[in-house]
Formats: sequence, structure tokens, C-alpha cells
Amino acid sequence: MKAFSSSNPCLPKTHFLKVPTFHPFLRFHTNGAKRPHTLSFTISCKMKNKGKSVSQKIVLSEASPPPLTEDDDVPEIIKKKGGPFWVAKILRRKTLQILSNLPLAIGEMFAVASLMALGTIIDQGEAPDFYFQKYPEDHPVFGFFTWRWVLTLGFDHMFSSPIFLGVLALLGASLMACTYTTQLPLIKVSRRWSFLHSAEAIRKQEFSESLPRASIQDVGTILMGAGYEVFLKGPSLYAFKGLAGRLAPVGVHIAMILIMAGATLSAAGSFRGSVTVPQGLNFVVGDVLAPSGFLSSPTEAFNTEIHVNKFYMDYYESGEVSQFHTDLSLRNMDGEEVMRKTISVNDPLRYGGITIYQTDWSISALQILKDNEGPYNLAMAPLQINGDKKLFGTFLPVGDINSPDVKGISMLARDLQSIVLYDKEGKLAGVRRPNSKLPINIDGSEIVIVDAIGSSGLDLKTDPGVPVVYAGFGALMITTCISYLSHSQIWALQDGTAVFIGGKTNRAKIEFPEEMNRLLDKVPEIVESTLSKQADSISG
Amino acid sequence: MVFSTLEHILTHISFSVVSILISIHLIIFLLVNQIIGLYDSSKKGMIITFFCLTGLLVTRWLFSGHLPFSDLYESLIFLSWTFSIFYMILYFKKHKNYYLKTIITPSVIFTQGFATSGLLTEMHESLILVPALQSHWLMMHVSMMILGYTTLLCGSLLSVAILVITFQELIQILRKRKNFYFLNESFYFAEIKYMNMNEKNNILQKSSFLSYRNYYRSQFIQQLDRWGYRTISLGFIFLTIGIISGAVWANEAWGSYWNWDPKETWAFITWTIFAIYLHTRKNKLEDINSSIIASMGFLIIWVCYLGINLLGIGLHSYGSFRPN
Repeated sequence: MKAFSSSNPCLPKTHFLKVPTFHPFLRFHTNGAKRPHTLSFTISCKMKNKGKSVSQKIVLSEASPPPLTEDDDVPEIIKKKGGPFWVAKILRRKTLQILSNLPLAIGEMFAVASLMALGTIIDQGEAPDFYFQKYPEDHPVFGFFTWRWVLTLGFDHMFSSPIFLGVLALLGASLMACTYTTQLPLIKVSRRWSFLHSAEAIRKQEFSESLPRASIQDVGTILMGAGYEVFLKGPSLYAFKGLAGRLAPVGVHIAMILIMAGATLSAAGSFRGSVTVPQGLNFVVGDVLAPSGFLSSPTEAFNTEIHVNKFYMDYYESGEVSQFHTDLSLRNMDGEEVMRKTISVNDPLRYGGITIYQTDWSISALQILKDNEGPYNLAMAPLQINGDKKLFGTFLPVGDINSPDVKGISMLARDLQSIVLYDKEGKLAGVRRPNSKLPINIDGSEIVIVDAIGSSGLDLKTDPGVPVVYAGFGALMITTCISYLSHSQIWALQDGTAVFIGGKTNRAKIEFPEEMNRLLDKVPEIVESTLSKQADSISG
Repeated sequence: MVFSTLEHILTHISFSVVSILISIHLIIFLLVNQIIGLYDSSKKGMIITFFCLTGLLVTRWLFSGHLPFSDLYESLIFLSWTFSIFYMILYFKKHKNYYLKTIITPSVIFTQGFATSGLLTEMHESLILVPALQSHWLMMHVSMMILGYTTLLCGSLLSVAILVITFQELIQILRKRKNFYFLNESFYFAEIKYMNMNEKNNILQKSSFLSYRNYYRSQFIQQLDRWGYRTISLGFIFLTIGIISGAVWANEAWGSYWNWDPKETWAFITWTIFAIYLHTRKNKLEDINSSIIASMGFLIIWVCYLGINLLGIGLHSYGSFRPN
């Protein structure tokens, strides 16, 4: 809280001078009058109104905080200028007004939510045939929903369809309009504050209480002790707490706009690509990356050559794969190594705006010795099986290779740990580990598995939007947390020996009265003798 | 072996304690609370449940060597643990908040019951972590998401309660036209019920009957509404942090912070719905509208949390019924 009051030079810490008090009603009169001669008018007001009647009016303006100030100011300018400018102004104002309409924004949010839900219900990215079958014209879903709807509206690729992006853009526009017309003025409005000078006005607050024998100074001290910023002027007191909670939603909106802007930048200006590289080979970054949007432009780092030094996996005791790693060397155009890092899933490499992720793996080849000849490299192929588990296989022909029904030894592997060998009849011959140098005899030939060569599945990406999106993420987390704070305001007035206290809060409507009762219990009751002094000091 | 036995014992204790609790609650509800001891025992029961669930999670953690968030069973246990931790917080804050407490206990029994039921038996063995899950983000993401779900479920259940009360009123008005005399009597019973709920056993005069009744009803609804709002706001924070940490994690592991994966999408739908709820509150639209939206949110959380998993699609397909 302290940051706020100190940032505002108009608000001294404790006792309060007269000048800033005029600020609110100055604004009030400009709003109400709508005249070109605002300045002189307000000055005359300033001279006249120092009494209670004005502060009553301030209360009125407080009760309906004028986010409309901007709108009210606009007509004055329009009258002066006129011409084509005027039409543009009107249009701009109308669009802002429509866009910042809350029910519209809520409608847009509903639309986004239901389109997203639809996007998860309808299978995405299938061939048109799939939709012909699933949503046939003779049996429409709900009596009307056929493949024509899906394909014309682009619901087969919902999250990049014009409708979805359009609604999202509209929501973004609403967000911006609302931030501009309602929320930013709110910052100004919430900085204002005022004393209440009548017990009546205080009693009208959501929470009100009267202490028959108390001093307003004590109330002020206790409130200050509870973390309130307290302002005291004569018999009246104003205190507030949690102003940040009122301002934070503005931050939430700005953070959302940042995220949306960052996502747009990501979509328009990034490069992506994926590659499967066997251990020991290399590739050039620029060959793999493909641009995703019109803003994508390659950088110097695209000439980097990446060499896969080693690919290896970690296993659990049960034999399951626990993690896989790739040792990468980055070389620039002159062939010098500029960077070397072992990456794994969840631990990518970042170089010159390019990020390299470990995403996949496969087995590219088996190195074997057959009858002590070789080593031969047998290429491994992925085999389709049910489930998520991987299986790779290769085949070593035995006998006459040119005969039409060639037979041979099959070798299967789930990972780089062990190879299962089958003879030419398809019977299990044995299991061997690479590097074990243990020969196995199948169908008369002696086979040693020298090594299993893995290949690393890498994803490459450049994304200029990430810093913006991350900034938005950070801001969003912080501001949503701050938004939980409740902005509480308390007014108090010394009336003779009694103190009238009223207050309101915008969120913690349950906790606030409890807190107030607890605090007011602490206020000491004044005994007769000190009371007279008290009254003296106030009147004097 | 020791671990699994211990786990077994703890699961059963926590489940049976919650079942006893729910019967106690029913007894309190049906026979007017003449036995104060019962209410006290329900508190003790919740504390026992809390410690059992904590023990269960710790055992699983020690046994498997990673945080117990890797499958649906574990996340359900964690869900009921967070429910019970809320109860504990309320218990220690000594808030006179009966609404949340009454909502939490049945929630614990449902999640705990579902977790221990036969439906998910194959999943009870703790699994190994696949490479993508081996990250510090796992703890942050999953705990925040589940904390968010729990808080939002509590909050939206309060809104469901508001809806139930309001529609009860509507039904009563409809019935009024049919049978006025019968209604007068039912009013009387409803009145007594409300008095009990508010813990104010005043003797009322017959003349000011209706106004009192309406006063307490609106007070009750207002209290529910305010608690619901605070709880949902808190849950919204957790959900936001959870989704964001998930996005950052995805950017570390897969190279994209948003993939439109079904689970992600539904989490975002949940977020949007509760954002709408918060906005309806802002505009001071009718309370009933925001309650309806929060109740929709209640259903959507379940779709997001269980529905997507049971379908077993996408990256978050932990705990699907599909054979591996």
C-alpha cells in the first residue's frame, strides 16, 4: 500500500491538506457542466464551496465512479472541430462503446468456450472421407449437423479455422477496448478519495457502526495498526487498504493482451521442424526448419551444423525406458564447435534463438558380425504394434539371396538394451545384449551383435513470441493473485463524543465486517474526564 | 510388500472413516441435532481421514520414489487430500463456516469412494514415470491444477446449493397455486429447517412469519453466494497458475506452450467459464445468473478432470481404461 501513497505526490502520509480535496469535485463539476468555460466555472466553485454541501456531492460522484469521464469529454472536442474528423471520432467512440460492452464480452467468452469444446468433440485434422462417414447427410447429428457444416465452417481444423480465430480476435478487441475505456480510467478514479462529513452518509455504507464514547484518533491508530492507510482531517477520517486489489484486474487484462499478442507473433513469425538423426551423423539447422508465417525470417544461426555425437538411454530396473539423451555438437560455418550439450526430454538446448528439443527416438541400425565377418550394418525398421510401445525389426537373409522366398534371421528390439533373435522358422533363438560379444548360433551361422545404433528424434524451433508470452504469463500470475485482495474503505466522523464508522469493501464481504468488529472492539472507551479535553481539542 | 500393506490399511481406514462420517451427517440432518457429540465426532473423523490420506500419499511417494501424481488413482487420492486439507484449514481458522464444511465431507467420500472402488483397480500399482513427466514442473503443475479443481469444486457446489434453494422456492410458489393450505404447513417446516441452519432458535411470532422466513432465506443465500465468490476467486488463482505452469512445462518438454490438446483445451474452457463467472459478479447481474454459470463450471471441471482421461486421448492420457 505504501508504494501507492508515496507514488502519488498529492497524498501526504498522515494529516491531510485542503488542496487535494478539491481534485474530486473539480472533476465532478467538469463532468456535470459540460460547458466550454469549464476552467473559470470550477474556479468559482472552488472559491464558493468549502462547506459540507459540496462534499456531499463528492459522495455522489463516488457512488457512481465515472469511467464515463472520457466519453463526456469527447463531445466538447467534437463540437469544436467538426468536419470529417467528427465522423471518425463518432465511429471510433461507437466501436469502443460497443466493444467494451460487458455482456458482449461475456457472449464472446461463451462462444470461444463452446467452439473449443466442439473442437475437442469433433475429431481434428482427418481426411474429408472421415467426416463423410462420421457425419453422413442421411443421418444428421441432432437432425441438422452434417459433414457440410464441418467442412464449410472449417471445424475439421477448429483451432486454426477463421471462425475460431475471428471470435478470438473479437475477444481480444473487446479486451483492449474495455481496458482502454473502463479500466484505465478506473485507476484515476480509485486514486480519489474523500472524507464524509455527515453521519447520515456514513450510516448508508454497507458496514456501519457507532461508538458512543471514543475518539477518532484512537480509531485511526488502530486502523493504521491493521495495515490501513489513514487520513485524518478535523473530525473526519478516511482509511483504505488493498487498493492494489482494485487495480490488479487492469493488470490481468493487460497480461491477457500480452499473451494474445505473443501468441500471434508466435503464429506469424516462427520456424519449426523435426528430424530423426542416427548417431554419428549431422544436419544443418536451416534445412530442417520451415517457416510458419509471413513474419518468419531466418537468422545467421540457421547455418549452424549440428552433429549427433551420441545417443543413449537410461533404464529403470524393470527394463523400461526412463530417459533418453543426445550429445550434440554445434558447429558454425567454419567448422568450429560453438557449443556442446547433452539434451534430454525436459532439458532442451538453446542457441541463437533456436531451441532443440529431445522428443523421440528410434533404432536406426544393428551392427553385427556374421561368422566373424563384418561388421555389417543392418537397417532397422519400426514395426506397427498396438499400444504405445515401440518395436523395431530387421532381417538377415540366410542362403540364396536371389531366390523368391528368401528366408533368414529376424531380429527385434524394443530398446537399445536387448535384441531378440528368431531363426528362419520363426522360432525364438535367443536374446543378446549389444556389446556383450556373446555369439549366438542360428541356422548354422554365428552371429555377434556388436552394437545397436539409436537415432535421436529432435524438434527444432525458433519462436519470437515466447518472451512476450512468458512476460504475459508472469504478469497474469502476479496480477490474478493480487486481484484476490479486497479494496476496503472506511470513513469515520467524530460527532461530539460519539464516533460514527462506516465502510465498504469490494470482495471480502464476509471477512470485512468480522475484521471491523474485531478492530472496533479494541477502540478504548473514553471516560468522562478525558472526554471534555477531547472535545476541546477537536473544537480548537 | 510392507509398503503395499501399509497403503492398503491406510486406504481402508480413510474410506471407512469417511463412510461413517457421511452416515453421521445424515443422522444429524434427519434427526434434528439433539446429540452434540455427533458433530464433534465428525470433526475428529475428518482429522483422522486427513492423517490417513497424508500417510497414504507419503507411503506411495516413498515407495515409488516420485511424487504421487502420475496416474488417475493417485491424483484422485490427492484430490480428496486437498479437500480434507481445506477442512483442516477451516477447522484451525475457527471460522463459523458450516457451509463449506458440509460440502467438503461428501466431496471427500465421493472422490475417495471412486478412487478405492473397483473401477480403477488395475491402476493401484504405482507406475514408472515416462521421460516427459520427469520434471520439477510436474509437482507445480499437478498440485496447482488439483488444488484449483478442489477449490473451484467447493465454490461451485455452493452455487449449486443456491440454485437448489432458489428452485425449491419456485416449486413452492407453483405449488402454492394448487394447494394453499398444504403450503402453509410446509412453510412452517421449511422455516424450522432454516432456523436450524442459521443456528438461531428464536421463537417467532406467527404474524411476522413470512418476512422472517424471507429474511433468513435471503441472508442464507447471500452468505452462500459470498463464500462461493471468495472460494471461486481463490480457485481461479490456482487454476491460472496451474495452466500457466503447464504451458511453460510444455514449452520445455515439447517445444510448444500450447498444443490444443483436449485436456489443455478443457482446462482453458474451465478457466473461461470461471472468468465469465467473475465478470458476471463484477457487473452485479442477478445472483442467480452467476450461480448458473458456476454450476456449469462444476460440470465442466468433471469433464475436464475425468471425462478427457476416460476417453484416453491426447498427451494427458494418464489413467485411461485403454489397455496398454
